[in-house]
Amino acid sequence: MADFNVSTREVGSVSIIDVKGYLDAHTAPDLENEFNKLVSGKQFKVVVNFDNLKYISSAGLGVFMAYVETMRENNGDIKFSNLKDDVYNIFDLLGFPVLYEFYKDENDALAKFKLQD
Amino acid sequence: MHANNNNAALRNLAALVDFSNLINSNLDPNFISNNLIFTCLSKFHTSRAALAFSDGQNVLRISSYKGITDQTAKNFPEVLIGDCQSSNVLKNYLEENKFSFGKLIETPRKKIGVLFLGKKLTGRDYDEDDKSFLNTLLHIASSAMENSLMVTELKEVNRNLDAKVNQLSSLFDLSKEFSGILEKERVGKLLLYSIIGQLIVTKFAVVICEDEGFEILETRIPPEILKTALSGCSVKNFTEPKTKKNIEQKFISISKIGIELVIPMQIKGATKGLILLGGRTNNQPYNQSDIEYVSSLGSLAIISIENGRLFKETLEKQRLEKDLEIAQKIQSNLLPDKAPYMKNFDIAAINQSARQVGGDYYDLVKLDEDRLLFAVADVSGKGVQAALLMANLQAFLQSICKQNIELDQASNLINDLVSENTTDGSFITFFWGIISDKTKELIYVNMGHNPPLFIRDKKIIKLKEGGMILGVMPTIIPYKSEKIKLNTGDKIILFTDGITEAMNTQGVEYSDERLEELVINLSASSAEETLNIILNDVKVFSKGAPQSDDITSMIIKVG
Repeated sequence: MADFNVSTREVGSVSIIDVKGYLDAHTAPDLENEFNKLVSGKQFKVVVNFDNLKYISSAGLGVFMAYVETMRENNGDIKFSNLKDDVYNIFDLLGFPVLYEFYKDENDALAKFKLQD
Repeated sequence: MHANNNNAALRNLAALVDFSNLINSNLDPNFISNNLIFTCLSKFHTSRAALAFSDGQNVLRISSYKGITDQTAKNFPEVLIGDCQSSNVLKNYLEENKFSFGKLIETPRKKIGVLFLGKKLTGRDYDEDDKSFLNTLLHIASSAMENSLMVTELKEVNRNLDAKVNQLSSLFDLSKEFSGILEKERVGKLLLYSIIGQLIVTKFAVVICEDEGFEILETRIPPEILKTALSGCSVKNFTEPKTKKNIEQKFISISKIGIELVIPMQIKGATKGLILLGGRTNNQPYNQSDIEYVSSLGSLAIISIENGRLFKETLEKQRLEKDLEIAQKIQSNLLPDKAPYMKNFDIAAINQSARQVGGDYYDLVKLDEDRLLFAVADVSGKGVQAALLMANLQAFLQSICKQNIELDQASNLINDLVSENTTDGSFITFFWGIISDKTKELIYVNMGHNPPLFIRDKKIIKLKEGGMILGVMPTIIPYKSEKIKLNTGDKIILFTDGITEAMNTQGVEYSDERLEELVINLSASSAEETLNIILNDVKVFSKGAPQSDDITSMIIKVG
């Protein structure tokens, strides 16, 4: 069984979600839970670090779609960082780059949040 | 002069070789276009140039330009490449924007596009040398352009293929996942995530059809607004996907809340649910491939939801059966284990339920040292409802027995009690009596029950005295009791219609007559023997036919 792991770190006012392994229909609910926790804790600035993510399916992408409006309505955002090429290709294929900001490194994403403050 | 000409030719040649090397080393159409334009600008001393390629429909589309504003480029008229020499609209556009002429770029196989050049800044016209140089230039450029355009096209095809592969893998992913999930809420969530992730949409809802209405499974539209919008729609109208145009025309209430795509979720052609999607965040319309994707996902999801429902139903049924088993145990505990001892009476009784729980009932209650109360009842209806009423009846009977009142009085009372406790037209046929060891007397009241057979000296008397069926209405006419002085050898046969109405495979009933003929000759048999003979006869008669009603019988023989 493919494994998936999700955890959250706080850096200043921004939450960084680290995702690891395979994010598909089976594991999407884990990510959803993580977002639910952030929303109920009023943490709306989110960077998702994909450094250790091996695979993402549409169901995984759907979780980001489901929460991005909530974050933006509350002066936050979901930004993506550290994507491997093949993972980025999937985002690109489905047209995500028009709607989300992608960064090579999570620090770049954090810096962008700082600028917006 | 001669040397000058040579020099110029050499320069031209060098520029051409340079240009050829450069553009053939690169497959990026922008790179090639830009180089072509820059080369022309410098060679012909003009400040403006534009390059238009023919698109899939042979319409010219500006792709690169220098020296004109973006707006000017945007204003480029829609002209077929075949009409580029004759179109007046194009001619006007060129004049207006100070272009000198357009030159077709073609390969031996097809026309690729047109290069437009502005007037020379020197004020001179393009001469023959210029034109022949341009021809050579475009000749070199054309094959490089065709290659690069082909590569671009291939890339596009590849990308579309990738997208299709991605959709398929996502479908595969979900089909695996759905088969293991039974909660419809979770199915709904995964369904949505897979759709909104794939198609980039944030406004959505999933509803399940229930009778004529809809149950909302997932929604990003306020539920009340969604319900109102859907209230005017019938499931029957959604047998196929509805696109934006169709929704705007026929489902205005849904269109008003921003829904642009409605996909039915179907099982065997019947619509069981709907997926409603708003516009895509990237403003792209939904194409056929998207609709197929959502439809496939919808089918997977609805089957999973249906399976979950069936599974739940089965569980519920199993639980109910378990409950019935318990009820049966409770009920059989309500019946007396064995007849209490009476010095002058030999008593046997039996109850066989056609179902797990039945509506027949008999009881034997010792009132004091001397007297025994016996009762047989058949509650209308079957199953749990009948069993519950029967349990009620027993409770009333037990408590009335402790009151020490006359049997006719007790009958009035028990009828009032049962009437008050039945609301749905249920009733009970009931017979009860008291026998006394000391006086060897029988007193009984029949409340609408099949008259028990009283047998004395091979003659049958039917015990009919009493009154109305139990439980139909409160007692208005008091019940009457009958007292009979008993002799040794007298026998009382009590039974329910499960015996006399038992059917054989031909649909013929066992009948009262057959019972009477059978028992009239059993004066030598004990109560137990008589009971067994009756049961056996019924069994032989109805052989092969299923028992349709509860069978209850009680035999009292006077010693």
